[in-house]
Amino acid sequence: MTGPQTHTVLSVSGLTKDYPGVRAVDDVSFAIEGGTVHCLVGENGAGKSTLVKMLTGALDPTSGSMSVNGNEYTPNSPQDARKGGVATLFQELHVVDELTVLENLTLGMERSWFGFLVKSELEERAVKTLAAIEPSIDPSARVSRLSVAQKQIIEIARAASSGANIIIMDEPTAALSEREVERLFGVIRRLRENDVTVIYISHKLDEIFELGDNVTVLRDGKHIVTKPLADVDGRSELIEMMIGRTVFQSYSPRGTVGNKVVLKAQGLTTSLLKDVSFDIKEGEIVGFYGLVGAGKTEIARALYGADSFEGAVDFKGKPVGRTPTAAIASGIALVPEERRTQGLFTNLTIRENIPVMNLPRVSRGGVFKAADVQDAAHQYVEQLSIATSSIEKHTEKLSGGNQQKVVFAKCLFSNAELLLLDEPTRGVDVGAKSEIYDIIKDLADQGNAVAVFSSELEEILGICDRVFLMFDGHLQEEIPNGPDVDISHILNVVTGGQESVAQ
Amino acid sequence: MSSLTENIPQSLQREKMSDEGFITSLVVIVAVALFLLASLLVPNFFQWQNVVNLVTNNWAVISLGIFVSFLLVSGNFDLSVGGIVALSGVLSVWFAQSPDGANALSSGLGMPYPLAILCALIGALAIGAMNALFVVRLGIPSIIVTLGTMMVARGIAQVITQGSQRNTNLPDEFGFLGNLTMFGTSVKLPVVLMLLLFLVAVFVERKMVFGRITYWIGANPEAATLSGINRSWHITKLYLFSAAVAGMVGILLASEFKSGFSNRGTLMEFDALVIALLGGIAITGGFGSVIGMFFGAIILAVVTSAATGMVLSPDWQFILKAIAVFLAIVTQTWAVARRNR
Repeated sequence: MTGPQTHTVLSVSGLTKDYPGVRAVDDVSFAIEGGTVHCLVGENGAGKSTLVKMLTGALDPTSGSMSVNGNEYTPNSPQDARKGGVATLFQELHVVDELTVLENLTLGMERSWFGFLVKSELEERAVKTLAAIEPSIDPSARVSRLSVAQKQIIEIARAASSGANIIIMDEPTAALSEREVERLFGVIRRLRENDVTVIYISHKLDEIFELGDNVTVLRDGKHIVTKPLADVDGRSELIEMMIGRTVFQSYSPRGTVGNKVVLKAQGLTTSLLKDVSFDIKEGEIVGFYGLVGAGKTEIARALYGADSFEGAVDFKGKPVGRTPTAAIASGIALVPEERRTQGLFTNLTIRENIPVMNLPRVSRGGVFKAADVQDAAHQYVEQLSIATSSIEKHTEKLSGGNQQKVVFAKCLFSNAELLLLDEPTRGVDVGAKSEIYDIIKDLADQGNAVAVFSSELEEILGICDRVFLMFDGHLQEEIPNGPDVDISHILNVVTGGQESVAQ
Repeated sequence: MSSLTENIPQSLQREKMSDEGFITSLVVIVAVALFLLASLLVPNFFQWQNVVNLVTNNWAVISLGIFVSFLLVSGNFDLSVGGIVALSGVLSVWFAQSPDGANALSSGLGMPYPLAILCALIGALAIGAMNALFVVRLGIPSIIVTLGTMMVARGIAQVITQGSQRNTNLPDEFGFLGNLTMFGTSVKLPVVLMLLLFLVAVFVERKMVFGRITYWIGANPEAATLSGINRSWHITKLYLFSAAVAGMVGILLASEFKSGFSNRGTLMEFDALVIALLGGIAITGGFGSVIGMFFGAIILAVVTSAATGMVLSPDWQFILKAIAVFLAIVTQTWAVARRNR
């Protein structure tokens, strides 16, 4: 396309990955040209991370093939992938703080002679690579003194000096400040000048346009297009390709939304949140939508009293106490983001998990009414159709969907009138997902208020009556859900686009 | 209200025993098996009186083990109990001694005995409150905090007794509680109190909200907080109860021997920890039972008394305890790894 000098360094053809019940990546074929920055975009669940895991050898494809520099490429592990010339910059850093920059660069590749380290040409090459991509870092400095961005650059230099000519970067700017992002972009551009290919994955569309040469769009596990970014007509075309003509789970307006405001939050401010104000009405499902790190979880935890914050929260006209205990007492319950570490007691049984948020309901004078505990467990196992052979089953042995239902059961048992659901269907299979949506709708139909915090747009538009759009700690906009909701506008707002340039 | 015995058929009906039930029964079986084995090897070991002795000789450590176990289940250590035993005993003596003694060690504050007991208990609770303050409010690891308060408590006892003991100038009723025999047998009051406390602890652990909260906190502290459990207050209560029981043990021991001795209860905190671990309580928290702890105490008692009665000199008892501890921890680690596989 760009000329005869281009050559393909990596190509995949017919790549498919099946999970039980789900085809995460579906017959994907495309090629990546050498010495370019190739961006990979798609919504959550479009198959990006599965594709990357196959490229790095963390997952085996169900079918299809990959090739690097014309040779067949079947990595079994990230180490294997690196030998094949493909290195990955993971979101969590793998540097040793106690060592120097140089020692980190040659880590695992040291030459020794009878147990003594000897200088090798490797060190020289590492220093040269580092100097080429970021001359401001002193190779003899201790890594613990460097910033996150500089540590990331060390990892990039290590990958480049080990001979990798393809570097995969998965959301590398998630933890960086604006200035550090600029510096990282400089590094990536210099890598490109040195004929290294960068596969760049990001949700932030501005970064894609600033940095990328070509873009591949994935949607629902399928390959939509691969083309030069120069041929893409702005954010709106890219967004359109990402969401396609997919019909979201049809939202039908519910008649139960009352006019009575049950929760009023004013000026919520934490280290991340900036002056967030909103209200939730009786019988209403509201959604908070934004990218990872936009501040959704922070709002949920503030309302629940789990984190300290500035601002005011009134529930049914009264201020809410600032501990989870007080929040539960006033009728608020939280389904936390990480069910295994925050929601469940995994080494205890279903029966022992369910009553914890409302102990007075199953005890008298501090003594459990054993029959009531059993009844509650049976009741919720049936009501939420939790698939288990017995209420005495340890929750760690349940599937993700059933574990999540147990967390729901805990919250329902507390008789909450406002449920805060943080990523309620993360890691849950499709069947359980729609069951959970039914549970949520039933709750609202009974007059409860529900707030859904999610990074899945389909989920938000499928069930919520009103949607709050979050970006970088700000509540950017409030929109009513409905058949004519403008999806590209939503995506534009939550990826940091200006509200005024919608459509 | 269903009693414990009514629950047995119910638990047998279950398709599979819980891990906790499994470990606890295993401990009971090992205790009985070891007793039978010792009976075969050691002459005169197989006697009813010997069974009684195994329990009565260990009343102090089992009493301390109850809240050490609760705290362990909640994910916290309490190493201060041995120090509190010394402190409260010494305090009760010092408070009760009449003020007109011939020298410093024979004169105290001259309080009436009930008041002396009360004040000694307050001293014990002060140590418990210190534990709670440092662990809960300041977030310092409990193993370090209670190691410190153990030395604080014993240190105060040492100062009050000037490194020796106080045993003169005491009112006659001082020796009453510790030597009172019950029901016309040779069983003393402290043993009966220990058994009562144990039964109450089993009830609390199995049937009461307080007991379950302890498990929830140990199993997943973060989920417990997010489920509305006031973790700080619960741990504070556990440390206060533990200190109160240790204080009572110290007062009863001082009464039994009619003396306050700063070295009393030395290493009792470790024995209490050892029997809890032998009883299958997870060092990581959230798992175990005081029933297991009780039989852990029996196991330790059988091993030490049989071995020292059989071939070895009493000097060997530390080695035997060490072996028992290592075996218990290795078995537990192995069992936990298997569970989580």
